[in-house]
Amino acid sequence: MVNVEDLISWVLRTGVLSGVAITTTGFFMSTEIAWLGVLVLILTPFMRVIMAGIYFLSRKDMVYSALAAYVIMILVIGSFLRII
Amino acid sequence: MKEMKALDPNFVPIAILLFGIFAGSLGAMLGLGGGVLMIIFLILALNIPAHQAVALSLIAVIASSSMAGSVYIKDRMTNLKLAMILEAFTVSGAVAGAFLALSLPVSAIQAILGCVLFYTSITMFKERKDECSGYAGNGSLDGEFYDEQACKTVRYKVKNLGLGALASLIAGAVSGMVGIGGGVIKVPIMNIVMKIPIKAAAATSNFMVGVTAAASAVIYFQSGLVDLRLSAPTILGIMVGAYFGTRLLARSRSIVLRKALAMVLAFFGTILMLKAGGLLAW
Repeated sequence: MVNVEDLISWVLRTGVLSGVAITTTGFFMSTEIAWLGVLVLILTPFMRVIMAGIYFLSRKDMVYSALAAYVIMILVIGSFLRII
Repeated sequence: MKEMKALDPNFVPIAILLFGIFAGSLGAMLGLGGGVLMIIFLILALNIPAHQAVALSLIAVIASSSMAGSVYIKDRMTNLKLAMILEAFTVSGAVAGAFLALSLPVSAIQAILGCVLFYTSITMFKERKDECSGYAGNGSLDGEFYDEQACKTVRYKVKNLGLGALASLIAGAVSGMVGIGGGVIKVPIMNIVMKIPIKAAAATSNFMVGVTAAASAVIYFQSGLVDLRLSAPTILGIMVGAYFGTRLLARSRSIVLRKALAMVLAFFGTILMLKAGGLLAW
């Protein structure tokens, strides 16, 4: 049984390190790769919200599941809104 | 105003990388996110437009705070449930802040950043105190962590959740507008008003910073304001700096350094406000 804390820690570390690696590769190769790297970085904190949401859902803790769902919803709304 | 000479295309990324290492390590040593110093440098030294500078800083803030957050939660310093409640507010603020910033002129962003620098400077002059809040009851938000320096488990009760939520909302909005993490607003409120011990407050605040910055960064990203060429040196610089800064932390508890940096921030706060008011052509 994996602890939720250890799982979140792993998601954050893996996400950041791969995001940084891809962005750096993009610096030397192409802006498309850099774009992907920045996207991975931006999505990393939201992956950990999803992980926490799934954990609380599995514990039938509806208050915290709903809070996680709200945060994800805000991201999705934000990503559809484009200015300029 | 004099025209800027065309810079060598490799100069800007290298300058950002080197300054990022400096800003990241100084920030980690003083418990200040690297974002504040980085954004001053991007705007005032490199003449990068304010909105692009904010976007770059947000990306660096996501990387450095998520990296630190991964360590804090592994060490059980973070109050996960409290973070989940407060981040609903801080994320809402971040989206609103990013929107507001993108509809405001550059001079308004500079003026707000100037005010934030002044505020940061004031909090740095004050001493942080750490008082125990008594023992935890049965409330689900109460937390505990193992304090390595004091060699004991610290238990605490969370108080004044409403004020904490309000502070998180404001911190999120400021973060979305000027590209800093917002810990400088949350940590003192969590410590003084919510009675959370400083170490748990800093870890929990840092945990929320990643998702706060991501919520506003996605809007800047979609609007094409994240400079993809300058992203890598910004992130790498801050992260490498933070890595060394964390290791120097134990050795340096310098009050002189803290006050010196507080004065530097106040100075640049003034510069930015004068620039925003059109009184100074930097």
